[in-house]
Amino acid sequence: MQFGRGKPSAGAFFDSDFTTLDSVLAVAVLYGMQGKNDCRMAMISTSRPDLATVGYVDTVERYYHGPGRNFAQVPPVAMRTEGKPGVTPKAFITPFDKKKPDGTSVYTNQVKSVIDTADPNTMFRNYLQAQYAQNGFFVLAGPGTNLANLLEFRGAKELITAKIKYLVIAQASGDVAAMRKVLADWPTSIVSVGPEIGAAIEFPGASIDKEFLAANPDNPVADAYRAWDPKLGNTPAVATAAALYAGRPKEGYFKLSGPGTLTMRDDGKIEFNATANGRHQYLSVDPSQTEKIAKTFVELASAKPVIRLRFRPDAAMEEKKDDKEEKKDEKP
Amino acid sequence: MITRKTLPRRTFLRGLGSAAIGLPFLDVMAPALASSTIPGKAPVRMAFFYVPNGMIMDAWNPDYVGKFQELPRSLKPLEPYKDDIIQLGNLTHNTGRALLDGAGDHGRCSGSYLTGIQVKKSLVEIKNGVSFDQIVANEVGKQTRFPSLELGMEDARQAGDCDSGYSCAYTNNLSWRSETQPLPPILDPRALFERMFGTGLPMTPAERARQTRYRRSILDFVTDDTRKLESNLGPTDRRKLDEYLSSIREVERQIERAEKDNKQIDPKMDKPYGVPADFAEHFRMMSNMIAIAFQADQTRIVTFLMTREGSSRPYRELGIPDGHHPLTHHRNQPELMEKVRKINEYHVRQFASFIEKMKSTKEGDATLLDNSMIVYGAGLQDGNAHLHEDLPTIIAGKGGNYIKTGRRIVARKETPMCNLFVTMMDRMGVHVENFGDSTGRLQGLDLA
Repeated sequence: MQFGRGKPSAGAFFDSDFTTLDSVLAVAVLYGMQGKNDCRMAMISTSRPDLATVGYVDTVERYYHGPGRNFAQVPPVAMRTEGKPGVTPKAFITPFDKKKPDGTSVYTNQVKSVIDTADPNTMFRNYLQAQYAQNGFFVLAGPGTNLANLLEFRGAKELITAKIKYLVIAQASGDVAAMRKVLADWPTSIVSVGPEIGAAIEFPGASIDKEFLAANPDNPVADAYRAWDPKLGNTPAVATAAALYAGRPKEGYFKLSGPGTLTMRDDGKIEFNATANGRHQYLSVDPSQTEKIAKTFVELASAKPVIRLRFRPDAAMEEKKDDKEEKKDEKP
Repeated sequence: MITRKTLPRRTFLRGLGSAAIGLPFLDVMAPALASSTIPGKAPVRMAFFYVPNGMIMDAWNPDYVGKFQELPRSLKPLEPYKDDIIQLGNLTHNTGRALLDGAGDHGRCSGSYLTGIQVKKSLVEIKNGVSFDQIVANEVGKQTRFPSLELGMEDARQAGDCDSGYSCAYTNNLSWRSETQPLPPILDPRALFERMFGTGLPMTPAERARQTRYRRSILDFVTDDTRKLESNLGPTDRRKLDEYLSSIREVERQIERAEKDNKQIDPKMDKPYGVPADFAEHFRMMSNMIAIAFQADQTRIVTFLMTREGSSRPYRELGIPDGHHPLTHHRNQPELMEKVRKINEYHVRQFASFIEKMKSTKEGDATLLDNSMIVYGAGLQDGNAHLHEDLPTIIAGKGGNYIKTGRRIVARKETPMCNLFVTMMDRMGVHVENFGDSTGRLQGLDLA
């Protein structure tokens, strides 16, 4: 890093099996925080080999990525190819039926086959390398399969140690062996967000017809919400809370436990044992913050896509230099 | 002296002075082998033809995967050879990306192209990795006169700033012997000719002039050996030898013509002695010698920097006076993009002429092309946006009956280019677990 220059905002890595609306709302919140320069969406991965779901998540990414002039490329969605695809939530398919007045589709699914996706380990490695030291975080909202595999990947542990400040796990579930491996071997801090958070904090469904509609009538997250719950009820927000905490850890939205060790029991439940030198913590609800959190969810997720600011060392000077080089090049 | 009826593969025609001409693969070299088995037995060669500044991808990638149908515009010159090529999609060089090092995509992408290493951004403290062609050369190169040949056509400066703080060592070399030692390309066809058919030591212009005055052709020096050899050959081998020696003579004539033309154009021109002013002519001479080097098994490994990354060469022969690199920053202006498409297609046209040469050279029942893997590629995808994924990549040749050509295959996004290198190393008989940022072998090259 150049002397006297700050780091860019933290890089966000989001991994999920995308079986819930909550996981998509979490992505929307992360993009909302990107718009406020709280973080930069690095990449999204899924542990469920379901192309239809990936097509929807890719559409969400393209939507929040913003207008065409945005310099940053839309990264592919990384997808595990082993295992069963499971059932695609209908709400992730329905938005593609939406038509414009001229009869054309509002959203286009650009994921046709596995070649439109990336291998999770390769992409984690590539995108971790692009982060500044201790300037990234992971949010895991689903089984730990992808992250357990990553921990076995050549050079990955060293990269995680160098680049990732913490991992936030939303409602640890599924694949007990994988989650145990993640909890045991993840080389940096872990914060757990349990189901009790979802019971206390919900995403306000009414915002779909208010804030979302006002910002843009064609938002793939809002359209999935309508398909998921036509009555627009509230949604338990564990992954969304995890994303909010990960992007704004110092905002005081939640209470944070002291240090300890998280383990997964045979029944899939998470246990926490306080230890003085533990690297794990867990979040709990601060009743005084719940209303503020719900408002923040809506503000961030419904925000219009914002062109991401370019950040690179000496960006202005380098660009001037490039211009000079090009002028020099143009001389016969 | 050539007296045996079975000829060793490493036989040279030698003569007075420093002439030493390697021979093509002749039937007499493998009398025990049935001709149909020769394609599997002939050595596999590999070459890299590098073109800079990315491509206009709408004219490069077809909108389908699988068996070739109509080729996109930039690949049209390869239409007659489309059954002999394979196009690869989605190969990525992550080490070409900024990765916190800021501007300088041209310097990075060519520096890391064959090494898969993030090069050190510096003008003086050069640091890269050993390129994979050199790892192969260290093993396979022991069997040939030259472990590898490094060629280029434009600029061999090894110092100075060639891209936003990246040394010219990164943009002007493809092959790296060590972390700090690039192998500068030979630009001058005369120098290459003398290296291939002489002692390997460069001659001064005065020495060259003296030699030119006293001889007509390098072939004259080996007349006695040629006659002796011919008397031991059957009609097929004799014809093969005659064609081979004629191709050497043709290159010689091209070089002499270029030297004569250079003197007429401008005696003070800033080019090496035998470098022709015409791009296509220069390419033809260099690529003909690559074909000869492969044919005579002088080397099995070639890297060829057709022009260097960031090149601002104008293409007046196409009616394009603008520099290549500035044009590629077209900002989506159609007229500038069209010029870049023309340059992309022009480069491919030159490459196609080399493929024709390789395909028309018989080797047993197969061709020289069948026993080769000739990669034509770029270290940038879109030169305007400086993208390092889906790098334009073609392989011509079957790598010795291995690659199923005639189609386009597309890997998953972000698949490391180094996966292709590891796979090619396997074909060359050099087996490594990892190279650069590889994550495994590239799947599907051998599957129709």
